[in-house]
Amino acid sequence: MSRVDIKNVWKIYEGDVQAVQDLSFFIEDGEFLAVLGPSGCGKSTTLRMIAGLEDITRGEILFDGKVVNELSPSERNLALAFESYALYALLTVHENIAFPMRAKGMSRAEADKKVMWIANILNVTDILKKKPGGLSGGHKQRVNLCRALVRQPNITLLDEPISHMDVRVRANMRARIRRLHDELKLTTIYVTHDQEEAVALADRVAVMNHAKLQQIGTVDEIWNHPANKFVATFVGEPQMNFLQGRMESKAEVSINTKNGKSIFPFDGDVDADFLGSEITVGVRPQQVQLSMTNKTNDAIPGVVDLTQFQGESVIVTVILDDEEKTEVKAVIETDWVPDPGNKVWLKMAPETIHLFDGETPILR
Amino acid sequence: MASVKLENVTKKYGQKLAVDNLSFEYEEGEFFSIIGPAGAGKSTILKMIAGIESVTSGKIFFDDYEVNALSARERNVAMAFETYNLYSHLNVYENIAFPLRAPERHEKLSKDEEKRRVEEVADFLGIKKLLGRKPVQLSGGEKQRVSLARAMVRRCECFLLDEPIAHLDARLKFSTQTALKRLSVKLGTAIIYVTHDYREALGLSDRIAVLRKGRFEQIGTPQEIYNKPATDFVANFIGDPPCNLIDGTLADQNGKTLFQSGTEFSIPLQKKSIGSAQKIVDVDQDDEIRLGIRPSRIKVSKERTSEHSFQLPIYAIVRRPEGAVITFELEKCFFRASVKGTEQYGMSEKVWLDFDQEHTFFFKKTVKISK
Repeated sequence: MSRVDIKNVWKIYEGDVQAVQDLSFFIEDGEFLAVLGPSGCGKSTTLRMIAGLEDITRGEILFDGKVVNELSPSERNLALAFESYALYALLTVHENIAFPMRAKGMSRAEADKKVMWIANILNVTDILKKKPGGLSGGHKQRVNLCRALVRQPNITLLDEPISHMDVRVRANMRARIRRLHDELKLTTIYVTHDQEEAVALADRVAVMNHAKLQQIGTVDEIWNHPANKFVATFVGEPQMNFLQGRMESKAEVSINTKNGKSIFPFDGDVDADFLGSEITVGVRPQQVQLSMTNKTNDAIPGVVDLTQFQGESVIVTVILDDEEKTEVKAVIETDWVPDPGNKVWLKMAPETIHLFDGETPILR
Repeated sequence: MASVKLENVTKKYGQKLAVDNLSFEYEEGEFFSIIGPAGAGKSTILKMIAGIESVTSGKIFFDDYEVNALSARERNVAMAFETYNLYSHLNVYENIAFPLRAPERHEKLSKDEEKRRVEEVADFLGIKKLLGRKPVQLSGGEKQRVSLARAMVRRCECFLLDEPIAHLDARLKFSTQTALKRLSVKLGTAIIYVTHDYREALGLSDRIAVLRKGRFEQIGTPQEIYNKPATDFVANFIGDPPCNLIDGTLADQNGKTLFQSGTEFSIPLQKKSIGSAQKIVDVDQDDEIRLGIRPSRIKVSKERTSEHSFQLPIYAIVRRPEGAVITFELEKCFFRASVKGTEQYGMSEKVWLDFDQEHTFFFKKTVKISK
């Protein structure tokens, strides 16, 4: 069993620098949780407090219901792998991986067996005799992972462990890390600034910004129901489009264009107080629909500014004919792609519409 | 504006061959990208065109005029590098305006005209608000955009851009790419753009040259490079998740031709595939050939979908916002299928796979694939 509870945790550095503010969330046994946020958001500090490498200014961290605030890193039985790989330069890869086990008094034979086991899973068997100095960044990170995971700890903490790797190696490593987690039934906390990585690996994602938790939820929850505009823009590439709109009725929003008003029905409820007020309409580029023709008033006219081929898709930038000349991006995966200069119509399906009042979502 | 032509250009550093007998011609107004891994010779090509590096042999032409003997200054090209080298005592406006004021350029712009040009390029690159600042007050990403603006403000024969947005974070990279593409369309001046990032190259270019160890593997439009890679190197270099590469041999079984890899992987080939696979075997005189297929071209389902489908257990699943990437393990490699929709699969579950053989390639093995 290894459940982690973080209860009202603060980290305040000298000079009242609040690195983490009133953070509360939990990680269930066997869960893969990603802590996602831009640099300086407090995610690594959080990880370091869980690891015991950083004092907790206020609040409590519990492992399986027991407060661990005062326990040293080694007493917490954790595995740690950080972006900066501190491998022992004088030891071979094999010795590097075996070191933490040998230091705890494990016999050579048993340690060797475990080294071979983890080296196989992470595919480093052919470099076991090499010293770290001659290894590529990707190799070093894999060795680092081996060393962290070989002890089969209660909780695995990973801080950007594969961010330096080449795209091709990274695709394999993602699969290996997820496999390892599922096969060994690990409890994993994974810190990253890369939203694609968090989405790829995690069961749930905790999004942080400015030292605070913004939202915690499954990928689908974060994608479909972002808790605020920051989360809406931070997750997803290209980022969510925003348009200036007006609440037409309890089920419709309107956007003013040169030709008049375009009306879009949406799913869900909005507080009656918002009727008639200005709001922000959000729609993801992947969910924008473009067409060459339009017969009704449920579309906004615009002109294609440019197209960017991406292999599986084309990103189309459209300048809309609304009052703000809003620039909107659409990801098109069909064979039909408009050309720059083409007049197009933008449509949004009811279930793809997000509504914000300032930073706050108002759709229920 | 000019077209640039390289004729049998070679560059050696001592005994080391950096660029190996390259010839290419690019047209006026074209956005031409050179992509390849570190050390492929990308920057060396740019420097030779700019006149910063001499050529060991071969000729470089601007239009039909040979420029080998001309100095960098005489060639009138604008360059931007990955490193920014801004003048620290000048503010952003003055840094961008600097090349316009250089006496040998004979631009002789009025103050108003200079201001218009600087503001236009600054606006395009989203740094108009920074014009009054000194470089020391800028972030790395901002410095890089100022450096790019300083190159793009000029009117010259061509722009040579060497990883000009490598230091921007993902989000900024994307908007700067958009700006760059827009600027290139507006100026109509040829751009030669060096990058190691295939997304940039695909999104920005009219044509792409894929460079490997000083030689071109393929030159083509982004669509050609992506959909019809000439070699396994090109296929492997472009795409995320990367193109699957699976080594195997051809075998006959009850009148059918199979592609087999190890003991667990065997697919019956369709007629068209047999032809292209056999051609590689014949030319290469090697029994083992390499199959390439993009993850989006492999269909995964719980039920059998065609006579060509086969079963494998799932190694691991990673998510995408509206789908997933499923990894399968073979003896010597992994391969991946990207799926859409809400169908749920589990680790180790045996599923049916169907390779779209209209979009399956066969290659000679030239790159090492790691597992």
